Amino acid sequence: MLECSNMKLIEHSNQNQQVESLSHLACAHCDLIQSLPKMKLGETARCIRCNNVLYRNQKNSLNRSLAFAITGLILFVISNLFPLLSLKAMGLTQEGTLFATSLSLLQADRPFLGLLIFLTTIVFPLTTLLGTIYVLIQVKMNRINKYTAPLFRFLRSTDVWGMLEIFMLAVLVSVVKLGDLADVIFGVSLYSFCLLILSLSLLSSSLNPHDVWNKLRIVKGCQL
Amino acid sequence: MKNKPTTARLQGLIACHFCHTLSEFPKVTENTKKGELRCPCCQSIIHSRIPDSLNRTWALLIAAIILYVPANTLPIMTVILWGNGQPDTILSGVIHLFDGGMWPLALLIFIASIFIPILKLIILVGLLLSVQLKSTWKPKDRTILYRITEFIGRWSMVDVFVIAILVALVQFGNTASVSPGLGALSFAAVIILTMFAAHTFDPRLIWDIIDDQIGNEKD
Ligand SMILES: [Zn+2]
Ligand SMILES: [Zn+2]
Repeated sequence: MLECSNMKLIEHSNQNQQVESLSHLACAHCDLIQSLPKMKLGETARCIRCNNVLYRNQKNSLNRSLAFAITGLILFVISNLFPLLSLKAMGLTQEGTLFATSLSLLQADRPFLGLLIFLTTIVFPLTTLLGTIYVLIQVKMNRINKYTAPLFRFLRSTDVWGMLEIFMLAVLVSVVKLGDLADVIFGVSLYSFCLLILSLSLLSSSLNPHDVWNKLRIVKGCQL
Repeated sequence: MKNKPTTARLQGLIACHFCHTLSEFPKVTENTKKGELRCPCCQSIIHSRIPDSLNRTWALLIAAIILYVPANTLPIMTVILWGNGQPDTILSGVIHLFDGGMWPLALLIFIASIFIPILKLIILVGLLLSVQLKSTWKPKDRTILYRITEFIGRWSMVDVFVIAILVALVQFGNTASVSPGLGALSFAAVIILTMFAAHTFDPRLIWDIIDDQIGNEKD
């Protein structure tokens, strides 16, 4: 690891509060350095060269994200308590919960597939929800410790591995596929699961990572 | 002093992937052990370009292409009805849905399981070749293609989830049951490998060629 002293920050006298503390940034997809324009709430700045999203200026990003994350967590618990779908055929009823989906693959001698489903439908969505709540509360209460930044970094990079919305599509496909052969009964959890998908997508659209990083930066004395 | 548009690399700066802080690239590289640099603000490892991006992306892509063969030839699942097992590959599954009159579903699975993975493999191979051949052809369009692959790749997982749900739900002993096949495992591996491949590819390499050319023309 290199000492910070070797890497001087570029100086900026700009203390503009409108666009927080970021004044210049390099596009993640083409490396072009651009200065951010003054943005109104709800506006998105895009790279002039490759159209990549540079910055979203969201209203009340931290509070709204925290609300969606807490709602999501409650819905996640409910979604795991009851069956999502039940199948009725030949006088028998087979119930399927979220967890049973990964478990059944394990029992069918496909441990890797089972693990993959377990990670993408339970572990990563749950860490995203719990981690986001933890980081947002720390940021809001100004109680940032040395684990906050690594945790938030981990959450940002594992974001794509939570695949509940894809699982939702798979549930719909299965309902249509099975509809011909047997009676499909919607479980209690299916409704909370739909709401969970909604709050997760609201969370990812409302959370502006820059808002969190700006706070972490200010606390560490890293103003741009 | 207003200078021309410039990139972080040409300015000797490194942008942090996470917090976007721009740090000065250390001028003395002899002192740095292993060349690992960290962002002064969030302590994440930073690099001007993803290290060894092309080689790593190639390795992941070649592994994905190899696994693509068993993913399509081995059965993804076997449906057992009244003791008779009927193995299905990805393609035969789509054909069965189509024959059964469920063509919207057939189309969805076709797009998610056949069209998107092939498209993704072709785009990534094309991007790698274009960077290695130092192409200057439509960099903006190529960057957009990259963003599309990065975004849609995970949706191919839908078929794997459908298999998992069917295995979990259809458990009626010998009368009706579904067992997952090796094809499903290979297919899942293809998706994961291409997701990693898209992640290791650095789209800034597309633009470096153009920036260097502009720089050379000035000299
Ligand atoms: Zn750009
Ligand atoms: Zn950083």
